[in-house]
Amino acid sequence: MKMAAIDCKRFLNQLDPWMDGQRTADAQAHARNCSLCRSMVADLGSITTAARSMAAEEIEPPARVWTSLRAQLEREGLIREPLVRVNETPERAAAAGGWRRWFGAIPRPALAGAYLAALVAVGVALSGPISKRVNDYRWIQGTQDSTSPLSVQLNSVEQTTMASLASSNPVVTAVLHKNMAIVDNYITLCEKSVHDEPENEVARDYLYEAYQQKADLLAQLNERGD
Amino acid sequence: MNTHHAVPRIWKSAGLLVPGFLLFGVASASAQRVEKHFKVEASPVVTIHNPNGTITVKAWTKSEVMVIATLGSGRVDLDAEQNGNRVDVMTRQITDSVAPDDLRADYQINVPQDSELQIHNDSGAVSVANVLGNMDVETIAADVDLQDAAGYLTIATVGGSFQCMRCAGHIEVNSISGSFRLMDTRSKHVRAQTSTGNILFSGDFLPSGEYRLKNYSGVIELRFLPGDSFDVTATSLKGKVNNQAKLTPPNHSYQSTSKYGQALVGSFNTAGHAHVDLTSFDGTINIVKRD
Repeated sequence: MKMAAIDCKRFLNQLDPWMDGQRTADAQAHARNCSLCRSMVADLGSITTAARSMAAEEIEPPARVWTSLRAQLEREGLIREPLVRVNETPERAAAAGGWRRWFGAIPRPALAGAYLAALVAVGVALSGPISKRVNDYRWIQGTQDSTSPLSVQLNSVEQTTMASLASSNPVVTAVLHKNMAIVDNYITLCEKSVHDEPENEVARDYLYEAYQQKADLLAQLNERGD
Repeated sequence: MNTHHAVPRIWKSAGLLVPGFLLFGVASASAQRVEKHFKVEASPVVTIHNPNGTITVKAWTKSEVMVIATLGSGRVDLDAEQNGNRVDVMTRQITDSVAPDDLRADYQINVPQDSELQIHNDSGAVSVANVLGNMDVETIAADVDLQDAAGYLTIATVGGSFQCMRCAGHIEVNSISGSFRLMDTRSKHVRAQTSTGNILFSGDFLPSGEYRLKNYSGVIELRFLPGDSFDVTATSLKGKVNNQAKLTPPNHSYQSTSKYGQALVGSFNTAGHAHVDLTSFDGTINIVKRD
């Protein structure tokens, strides 16, 4: 089998241009031969696609959001009646988008604040019970996408590292084995919890921390040359 | 004649040498004491690497670092050297294969009070008293005991416990299965995280201080005095939150089996709020009055 022209590290250095579609022959050869990197770019591709579709969904929020926002801004005196520009007929002004008609007179900082408020409102609107299952799936998928490659890499390092511990101080070796088992168990329980309650941020934080702890433990072992 | 006289001289020499060799053999098989002194300036850095044994560090008033090593066998040696205002102490393995007990070295080290310490100890124990400089301690199985320490304290153990008596400064402690006891603490920043260990905090809540205690399972116990002042958030996803503090205002405090476990938010007294954040996945959180 022909070896890839570059290694994983160099491939990762080319990840940004790769995701922008600029793919060198070396990188393509590496992706063909390395299942880990191939899986990673596939995951990143899925995330990018999902993010774009979510962004597209947010372009047009429901009309009631703008109505409510406009009423609030009028109460606070931040917007006035629509302005008709020089060389612009009232018909053209009316035909212009809702954005310009409502917000043309608002100072830019206020507009930014309003836009933010609108986004929050959209977020709230999207988080209704109808979309709960979709959101749950997204959370689970998102968590799996971010932790699966990490899990594979950590398990690989763990096998190598733990195998070389046989000649070390038995007390230290026993403690390391015990604590590695604790962390692995911790990861399993957190994964279950995230699966059961996908939107539970605390559970997800614990899962990420468990992976971090495992990585730290393995790094410590390698650093000590055990 | 020469031969006649020579024979007794040889035996005499042998008679002197044999006990000498025997003594050497006994000495190499048993503990050896080595003492070294290093003159230092203000705020020296002292690093200690020891695979197995106790490390006891105490502050003194001399501008000098004194290292007394008790080596477990002749198979290890003390490697101590000075580079400028830095003293590096290391247990060096002389032969390739050494039994764990032979690798043992115990250290008694005296340092100036403002020293910065970097300690790595796999198994045994680490004890530091009255050192006010920054401290970085890493162990696997060794317990860590600090007294009257200050500065930026960073402690990481895998399975070793951590105890801190009257510590000030900035405390960051992490472990997987080690338990922590932070007693009479006078720190403005405490961050303690362990997976399966217990955490006990009994100290001052300084104005605008931050106290974050987190574990996966086990017990987190926070002790308070009637005059303390803090805002507290306590969450246990699968476990319980028990509270003895009268939190105000009442509409800001709640305790329920919420969607994601038990949670509690509130303020205790009002002057100079400290921020307390207690989080557990499967453990119990106790907020209790201090005796």
